[in-house]
Amino acid sequence: MSDSKREPMLDMFIFETLNQLEHLEQSLISSEKSSNLDASINEIFRIMHTIKGSAAMMLFDNIASLAHAAEDLFHYLREHPGIGIDHPALTDLVLECVDFIKNEVAFIDSEEESGSNPQSLIEKTSDYLAALKGRQSEEQAPPATSPESEKALFYISSSERGPQPEGGPRYEAVIHFSESCQMENVRAFLIVHNLKEIAGNIKFYPDDIADSDASIELIRSEGFYISFNSPHSQEYLDSFFQRSACVDHFQLSPAPPESEIDRGSPRGCRPERPGPAAATIPPAPERFDSPSPSIHQSMINVSVSKLDRLMDLVAELVIVQAMVTQNPELEGLNLDNFYKEARQLKKITNDLQDTAMALRMVSLANTFQKMNRLVRDMSHKIQKKVKLELVGADTEVDKNVIEQISDPLMHLVRNSLDHGLETPEERLTAGKSPEGHLSIEAKNFGGDVWIEVKDDGRGLDKYKILARAQEHGLTDKSEAELSEKEIFSFIFLPGFSTRDGVTQFSGRGVGMDVVIRNIQAIGGSVLIDSIPGQGTTISLKIPLTLAIIDGMTIQVGRNRYTIPINSIREAFQITEDELVCDPDGHEMIFIRGKCHPLLRLYQLYHVHPAARNINDGIVLQLEHNGETICLLADSLLGEQQVVIKPLPNYIKLQNSNIKGISGCTLLGDGSISLILDVSSLLKL
Amino acid sequence: MKTILVVDDAIFMRKTIRLILEKNGYEVVGEASNGREAISMYEKLQPDIVTMDLTMPDMDGISATRAIHSSNPDSNVVIVSAMGQDSCVREAIMAGARAFIVKPFQESFIVETLRKIS
Amino acid sequence: MRSAQEDIFAAEEDTQKGKFLTFMMGKAEYGIEIRYVTEIIGGIQSITEVPEVPIYIKGIINLRGKIIPVMDINLRFNKEARQYNDRTCIIVVDINDLSVGLIVDNVTEVLNINDEEIVDPPDGRAGFHQKYIHKIGKVGDAVKLLLDCEKLLGSEEYTRLSEIA
Repeated sequence: MSDSKREPMLDMFIFETLNQLEHLEQSLISSEKSSNLDASINEIFRIMHTIKGSAAMMLFDNIASLAHAAEDLFHYLREHPGIGIDHPALTDLVLECVDFIKNEVAFIDSEEESGSNPQSLIEKTSDYLAALKGRQSEEQAPPATSPESEKALFYISSSERGPQPEGGPRYEAVIHFSESCQMENVRAFLIVHNLKEIAGNIKFYPDDIADSDASIELIRSEGFYISFNSPHSQEYLDSFFQRSACVDHFQLSPAPPESEIDRGSPRGCRPERPGPAAATIPPAPERFDSPSPSIHQSMINVSVSKLDRLMDLVAELVIVQAMVTQNPELEGLNLDNFYKEARQLKKITNDLQDTAMALRMVSLANTFQKMNRLVRDMSHKIQKKVKLELVGADTEVDKNVIEQISDPLMHLVRNSLDHGLETPEERLTAGKSPEGHLSIEAKNFGGDVWIEVKDDGRGLDKYKILARAQEHGLTDKSEAELSEKEIFSFIFLPGFSTRDGVTQFSGRGVGMDVVIRNIQAIGGSVLIDSIPGQGTTISLKIPLTLAIIDGMTIQVGRNRYTIPINSIREAFQITEDELVCDPDGHEMIFIRGKCHPLLRLYQLYHVHPAARNINDGIVLQLEHNGETICLLADSLLGEQQVVIKPLPNYIKLQNSNIKGISGCTLLGDGSISLILDVSSLLKL
Repeated sequence: MKTILVVDDAIFMRKTIRLILEKNGYEVVGEASNGREAISMYEKLQPDIVTMDLTMPDMDGISATRAIHSSNPDSNVVIVSAMGQDSCVREAIMAGARAFIVKPFQESFIVETLRKIS
Repeated sequence: MRSAQEDIFAAEEDTQKGKFLTFMMGKAEYGIEIRYVTEIIGGIQSITEVPEVPIYIKGIINLRGKIIPVMDINLRFNKEARQYNDRTCIIVVDINDLSVGLIVDNVTEVLNINDEEIVDPPDGRAGFHQKYIHKIGKVGDAVKLLLDCEKLLGSEEYTRLSEIA
């Protein structure tokens, strides 16, 4: 994966622009909620300004020109606070711009041509601005700052400069600036400003360099004319002009004394005015943005591939550390000091591992923010009032996991809004408030991250679900044979949908099964609970770490298997008479009154165990998602942390889904142990 | 080698400017993301030149220029502005900026400007 | 137009062309192109069985931290499995990002075989493992059966499968 052909700044541009757009969205939406747009106007202005600048540097004109239009709009809003704006309309417009830029960036990232034209959106924005201006001139809202304060500012700074030098002969110069140096009027201003230190009685043409752009063209075609008195030598003055930035060429020559100036109307000069017309100076720069916390945190950007490499090395360190300390060559030796240091080594390795893991942890805040946007847009479109409550946004999850959670979460939210929550009328009829309530709560619990999506809508109709499942041939059991939870989980089967119509957002029956697949792919699980008429809660349980687990290793014959500790309820020994056999030959064990199936691993995997007799082996009670199964093994080898390695590709090609095996790991003595996947064992 | 402090709230701009400056033999000794940081870093690093963005949160470029220039009259602050910021640039000049470049800028312009002011 | 890098790589391949690693299986002698060979492990080590895979895949081994599947060539050719002894070797080959260890009776040597001495296998010859034999190489009086590594690993079938998917 070499991106060497990519422009090096491109990734930085994409990263920063997307970041800023997220900020902007957040700012905008939270302002909308509090109905106070003023707080974020400054920030939005600044963000659009920055995006414009960066995009222009990278020659992405589509983005630059759209950002420029938005910047102009917000510049105006900034100058005229208190002007009556239609918040929702403005928010919608800005979000449209945001979406366009996001889209353009996506194309840029995949190095494709976007072919989209921002022109209509730019026009829409400038029309909006024009309308505001038109309205303003009617209402005559005054500009933000008073002219006097501006003038005062100017006078103070100009008096900081020393008195202008007196006397000396008169000179005149015509200055031409380099082509494409831009803002020639300000360049001229700069020269005059600097000249004041070494010359007096300065006159120049065009003279309106301080307050208008009209002079730019004139300066470009005719040059900038300036005349002044100075006691310095001509060589000195010559070098002054040479040293001025962007000066392409100039002519400096002695001039007749002032009184003789009469060069005809085109060249007539007005004496320099004491200062630029104050009214045109934009609002005082003393307006600060409230510092946003994220800028003040001490953060560093690290590429994900570097983090991945670090994680790989740490994982290998864990393995090697175990191989060293559990090396068979050490067996039987008396090595107290060695083991003392080995324990220390293990401790430090564990700490290192924890720290490396923590590096990859990212808070759910961003993901939650996306929900804000999603709910806002959807509730408008489907005409349902929704209040979204987000709890636990600072809960952290592994970066890989975040990417896998985002889509499922969005789908669950869409589902709740589309199917779960009723229309305001229906809700009123049902005695509920017209505004639906949707909450997303994230928390750490028991080594996992739980994310709960809860709505107070109409709940799941188990009869309808069962009927649909039977219709689609997904089950042949009747209501009496199934628990409520089992019926609810039918909605996760592919091809299922009780919705009669397909809406724009959901109902095609391809959503929920993808949700459960994505979540299971990262080692998590999904639980549903629902009360008809009251609402539905869907819980996602996601493991904190993906690659390293606490495992219990067992021996069966010559083979070793490792089981995630989280899945083990109990381990015990039983006698043959505690075993029960059903007519089909399935074996079962009774534990505290409940019946659990027994699986003899050696039979499943065709290995030769040491213990065929149940008396000689050990039984483990495993659990997953509320279901249990018992496993017979020869012996327990011990508990340790193991790094999950996938089975080699070649093996996966032969059989992509080996029953009950989810991967393998290297044990301390270098031997390989296969990792058991309890959920797939349960399916047998 | 001349030392430079780069001030801009956009990481992208800072990195781009740094790239260009280092390529042309300047030593970038620091980066600041707002006016306040710029002032304190200037005091600490005493760079030969400062490139200063105008629009930043928490204290903009004009105020920072004013502050830096008043306590360091020999300072060389170069404003990095966008098109359409004429009056801001003028004000920055009056606050003590020595020169300015306009975004999007070509490498040659920034190099020439820096060369001329030092 | 090839880049300099591509040229060097092609040159390396050319110099390896015609170089074969030969090994014995029973009475026959086989060869595989050395460019596919990444390692030769002397002696058989403990193999961890993997359930539900073809019988010729004996399992997986730990090669300095990397987990590699191993294949018994005899079983692959549908012959009787032979006992492993201390001359048994594992030849690790790498094709199309797949790494597999081939368990062979013993390894003989690395031979240069010129193109002129390489001929196609005769048609109609009975022998189940014929499809794995790419060419026949003659070295003096001896005949070496040159294997088609891709077919051996069956990677062709998989590329086809993945095209369908």
